[in-house]
Amino acid sequence: MDKLTILLPATPLLSAVLITLLAGRSRRLVARLSVGFAGLAFLLAAASLALYLAQGQPYWTSFGPGWGSLYLDPLASVMALMVAGISLVVHVYAVRYMAEEAGYARFYVLLDLMAAAILLMVAAGDLVTLLVAWHLVGVVLYFLLGHDAARPAAQRYAFWTFFTYRLGDLPLILAAILLYQAYGTTSLPALFERIAADPGAHEVLGLPLATAVAFLIAFAAFARSAQFPLHTWLPYTMEGPTPVSALMHAGIVNAGGFIINRFAPVFVHAGEVLHLVFAVGLATAILGSVLMLMQNDIKKSLGYSTMGQMGFMFVEAGVGAFSLAIYHLIAHGLFKGTLFLGAGGVISNARKQDGVPHDDVYTFVVERRPAVYRLPWVVAATLTVVVPLVLLGASHWMVDEDFVGRQGAIILLFFGWVTGAQLLFVTYRLRAGSPWRLMAMIILSLVVVVAGYTWVGHAFDLFLYPDRAFSDRIYAAASIPLGTFEVLAALLTAAVVGGWLAAYYATANGGSRGGRASPLRLALYSLLSREFYMADVYARLTQAVTSASRQLNLWLRWA
Amino acid sequence: MALLAAAFFLPLFPLSMALNAVLRRLRNPAARAVLLLLWPQLGVLSLQMAPHAPPQYFLPWALLTSGLYALRLLTVRDMDLWAGFLATSALALTWALAVGGADPADLHLFAFWLSAPPALAALLAGSLTSRFGAAYAGLQGGLIGSLPRLSGALTMTVLAAVATPPFSGFFALLRLLNTLDWMAALGVLTIWLLWGWAATCLLQGFIFGAARPVAHADIGWTPTLALAGLLGLFAAAGLYLTGGGL
Repeated sequence: MDKLTILLPATPLLSAVLITLLAGRSRRLVARLSVGFAGLAFLLAAASLALYLAQGQPYWTSFGPGWGSLYLDPLASVMALMVAGISLVVHVYAVRYMAEEAGYARFYVLLDLMAAAILLMVAAGDLVTLLVAWHLVGVVLYFLLGHDAARPAAQRYAFWTFFTYRLGDLPLILAAILLYQAYGTTSLPALFERIAADPGAHEVLGLPLATAVAFLIAFAAFARSAQFPLHTWLPYTMEGPTPVSALMHAGIVNAGGFIINRFAPVFVHAGEVLHLVFAVGLATAILGSVLMLMQNDIKKSLGYSTMGQMGFMFVEAGVGAFSLAIYHLIAHGLFKGTLFLGAGGVISNARKQDGVPHDDVYTFVVERRPAVYRLPWVVAATLTVVVPLVLLGASHWMVDEDFVGRQGAIILLFFGWVTGAQLLFVTYRLRAGSPWRLMAMIILSLVVVVAGYTWVGHAFDLFLYPDRAFSDRIYAAASIPLGTFEVLAALLTAAVVGGWLAAYYATANGGSRGGRASPLRLALYSLLSREFYMADVYARLTQAVTSASRQLNLWLRWA
Repeated sequence: MALLAAAFFLPLFPLSMALNAVLRRLRNPAARAVLLLLWPQLGVLSLQMAPHAPPQYFLPWALLTSGLYALRLLTVRDMDLWAGFLATSALALTWALAVGGADPADLHLFAFWLSAPPALAALLAGSLTSRFGAAYAGLQGGLIGSLPRLSGALTMTVLAAVATPPFSGFFALLRLLNTLDWMAALGVLTIWLLWGWAATCLLQGFIFGAARPVAHADIGWTPTLALAGLLGLFAAAGLYLTGGGL
């Protein structure tokens, strides 16, 4: 087990060293070597997960007195397998994709270094190793995003990413130091034991230590996972090579969810911070989803979609469903990686065939297809409200009766219901020759997705947090007073259902497509399309700082 | 008097201007590197000769000096000047450790961890000047395509200089942060952030950008391996001597 644990981050590191030494050799050799080592790292990650499943005990090993320890628990094992898997796919994809690019060997060296840094991060067994790996991910990403050295845009956005990541590194360093000063150890398992034994013994600036540390870790997570208002770098990382975009959106950006889970023993004593995580995640999810719908570029649209998904992941963590956040980030990583790697093919196909459907009259008269209909709006609206509610409630109740008694679970069910209903609403807008059949098929697929999500999510919860009492305490920490919760839930439900009914009614009556947009709509559109001017604010701040720097140098005559 | 001498050698503003003025007058890169290595050690020796530990007001003075030079670093394009400013910003932090009552051996090592990478940067600046007439960021961009070994050496040195792990500066700063209170730690973290920003500005001016034809040869394999070995040794020694921990 010792050797396996060390080999996990060491394998890609060794690959990077060998490729550096063989930089002058053929590209084929470089690619084979790197892909081979990536495959080996994947096998090692799978073996470490299998060993954990066989032994059932977390494993901690140290190689030095102060740092250099690795910790393979369920979270680290699952994350390592996911990271190694995505890294392998990206390695294979890049063999041909990057074949014509300059700096082929350099690209693979950086890709291997990135894999090593992420594997070290997920398997870190002490605070210092975690800080080292966390820091290195940002540095290597900077060089990967700026791989195309001749493109100014790639350099600009690589810098944005690097700076935001550095901004997120610093609170994590502060959190680590506070924890070390309070509990006198850097080892994560020992630290978590001491926190559990004595959570309220220390204070910082009048705040309980756990609250201060959880806030700092949450801030680090916000920066790393592009939460509003630290999101501006994410959509522009498309300027990097496509394999890097895939790795970025499928793996690196998920680090925020990972770090919150890693410090779950701290967050369980910091309910206020979980509420903040929920609020920031919700704002990011809404903003990211709206911005995604406003894009006309598929890769940028995928970028904002990642932002929205990261927001949902934080919402899950914010309501106490920590394991669900990990399940979400893995599922999102897999589908987003696939979408990015397939984006090039979609763009190529779109250039040949735009895919815009013909007018109904044209398809009926010229193409002789049957006339299309849709369900009566009252029927569709009823199905929209009732079906997802029944499905989600029933599946969760069947899996775990206690689950539906938790506030966090009710919020997640609410989101599940909204999402399912949105799907049915989209179905209503589609016209089909047989609308009832279409609706039946959609409901069937919804059943499969919801049941699968619930059962897999539940199994995941049992795997990551086998201590049920601890899992319950996280949900309890994330709860708010019952009266406030019920009022908020009622208001949100009324707003959502009212909005749907209005949308159905408007769509059924042909909608309001003509005419000029109102000034309010235009103002809202410009505000959203400029992302609340956050990037402009940052640009102004940057200019102000560099201008002050220049002025100081002039006054002090460069000495 | 000893504290004043220490403030001169472990540069505190405005006495810090002397170090940068001397660096500008020296033409030989090796002489600059030696000066950057020895200057702070003289400062630590002066501190040892002081009859008592530095008073508390040296801490804000040191942080302000370090912050001032970190801020000024953002718009410095000349690599010689950059190495001098970064060294000034980093070495001023030695006072923060001294005020906390660190022993002399720790102070000597701290000063060494933070002055060695700027000394290497000064040597590399000499290498750039001999090829292009000046080591000026933006003057000849795109070196990563035309001079990959020099670019690699430059990148690693700059990363070591801004205390990137696993170089010793990272662990030295972690130890320093562990001795400071909240406000001072926030100050040091902000300074660290500015260093990272300045490093990207410098690298973007040298290694990135459209590649232009270069008439000069890249550095040879031997100096590249020597520099890589030196940086590796620097990192390993740092890990061994700092213990890598907090």
